[in-house]
Amino acid sequence: MHLLKKPWIIAVGVIPALVIYLIFSIVPIFISFYYSLMSWNGFSEMQFIGLANFKEVFQDSVFWVSVRNNILVVLASVFGQIPIALALALLLNRKMKGAKFFRTIGFMPVVISTVVISITWRMIYNSEYGMINNFLEAIGLGFLQQNWLGDPTWAMVAVCITIIWQFVGLYFIIFLSALQTVPSEILEAADLDGASEWQKTIHVVLPSIWNIILISVVLCISGSLKTFDLIFVMTSGGPANSTEVMATYMYGKTFEGLRYGYGSAISVLIFVFSIALILITTKLLRRREV
Amino acid sequence: MRESAVHYDTVSKQARKRKIVKRSTIYLILFLFTIVNAYPIFWMIMNSFKTGQEFSFDPFGLPNEWVFTNYVEAWVTANIGSYFFNSLFVGIVALLICILVGAFASYFLSRFQFRGRNLLYGFFVVGLLVPIHATLVPMFILMQKLGFLNTHLALIFPYVAFNLPITIFLLTSFMSSFPKEIEESAIMDGCGPFRIFWSIILPMSRPALATAVILNFINNWNEFSFALVLINDKALSTLPLGLANFAGEYTTNYTAQMAGLTLVLIPTILFYLIMEKQIVNGMTQGAVKG
Repeated sequence: MHLLKKPWIIAVGVIPALVIYLIFSIVPIFISFYYSLMSWNGFSEMQFIGLANFKEVFQDSVFWVSVRNNILVVLASVFGQIPIALALALLLNRKMKGAKFFRTIGFMPVVISTVVISITWRMIYNSEYGMINNFLEAIGLGFLQQNWLGDPTWAMVAVCITIIWQFVGLYFIIFLSALQTVPSEILEAADLDGASEWQKTIHVVLPSIWNIILISVVLCISGSLKTFDLIFVMTSGGPANSTEVMATYMYGKTFEGLRYGYGSAISVLIFVFSIALILITTKLLRRREV
Repeated sequence: MRESAVHYDTVSKQARKRKIVKRSTIYLILFLFTIVNAYPIFWMIMNSFKTGQEFSFDPFGLPNEWVFTNYVEAWVTANIGSYFFNSLFVGIVALLICILVGAFASYFLSRFQFRGRNLLYGFFVVGLLVPIHATLVPMFILMQKLGFLNTHLALIFPYVAFNLPITIFLLTSFMSSFPKEIEESAIMDGCGPFRIFWSIILPMSRPALATAVILNFINNWNEFSFALVLINDKALSTLPLGLANFAGEYTTNYTAQMAGLTLVLIPTILFYLIMEKQIVNGMTQGAVKG
């Protein structure tokens, strides 16, 4: 590290990145704060209306459904992806044939585009031709068939299952590589003491990868808050708003209802909600760490 | 003596039996996971070679006769060729800009001492927390004002901006690990900071650059929400957007949808299988460190 005689050179180096980053990532947030106070349909004169947009958002029951669904997605991700991934990683964390194969297939859904996954799963859930209903019929459980995405009681469950499916592999691989860092001397010492595999897992393995588990929980929360593509393509928030999340609600109001001010107000709330949730979880988890 | 030998024998037999049962259970669970992960994809690819009629009465078997009409239909009517080109173009241009300005900024952030350095670095990294969906509406308004709506620029700039935080994060932490003697001799020889960047720091950062390139590319290649909001012209659509529109128009022609999806999926999976190590490292590292 060294000091430069000409500090303007540093400015030259940093400014291109800073300008792009500011204009296209930070400024939009402020724009949404500004427009959230306006009534504007994109064409006619803009009108300042104070906090009326926010008031209306809070009075709309669909908005609260979308908040609830956002929380559901977060919970399904944290309590679905993390435990399944951890259990599978613990199972695979030993010398066995085909380990590489399990890893390769395990991670595959993570690299596939969300749009491809959404359309595929939409067909899997299809009530007439879908894989699930056909499978249920083939094994004689035809009475369990549902119109998975068309029925408000099942649609959110179906969406959550796809979300879990999409990202289990990511945490599976993260945990597998974390498990490789568990010092083998400690495990050997535990073996000499006659510890069973279960005891070793609880008392040695899990405590030593605890940090990675916590990081994964935070990642999982911030990742699942970004859910939009999947629901937009699979159900567009329907049927009867039953799978609406904040981002799909915002999209509908803004680009289908042509209410840019109202959409901006929802954007502000998404921003506040996401940041608050991430800050709270990191703070809670950090406290437990100490 | 004889008795104990018999006893020992039965114990080891039991232990062996238990071991075999345990192994088989582990394999069974991992195979189940593999099937759950891979079968939906396989189901889709297989059915893309069937006629619509065959798909409707035999969705599980292999195609009786492999038909390619679905592919012709997907390629011609869905225009997948042009979406491919758009995705590649936008993805690569955004990636090049992001890596270039990101590496340049990282160089100054990691190799120079100046006031506000940590603050600036923190400001970049905080961008990891900005929820993309909170910026969709303001980004639309911004792009409208800038006159970029319905051009590739409307995608390139946000893609750069939203990949900069992780790029700068990965590159800065990699570059700060170099010993400072590296530049000292170059400075003695009269090399300027730009020269040092191009001929010393950049080549040395190759591993981190590879990770950043892969992350950038996958993010851009799969991105849907900005494309949905900012591109309204079929000729400019990227693959995820084009596919979503195609599936929306051909809602009942499942086999053609599957052919379109397969066309997109095959290159992704090939890319993944060839570059598995780098992709997995990039995505899990980016995730854990981020």
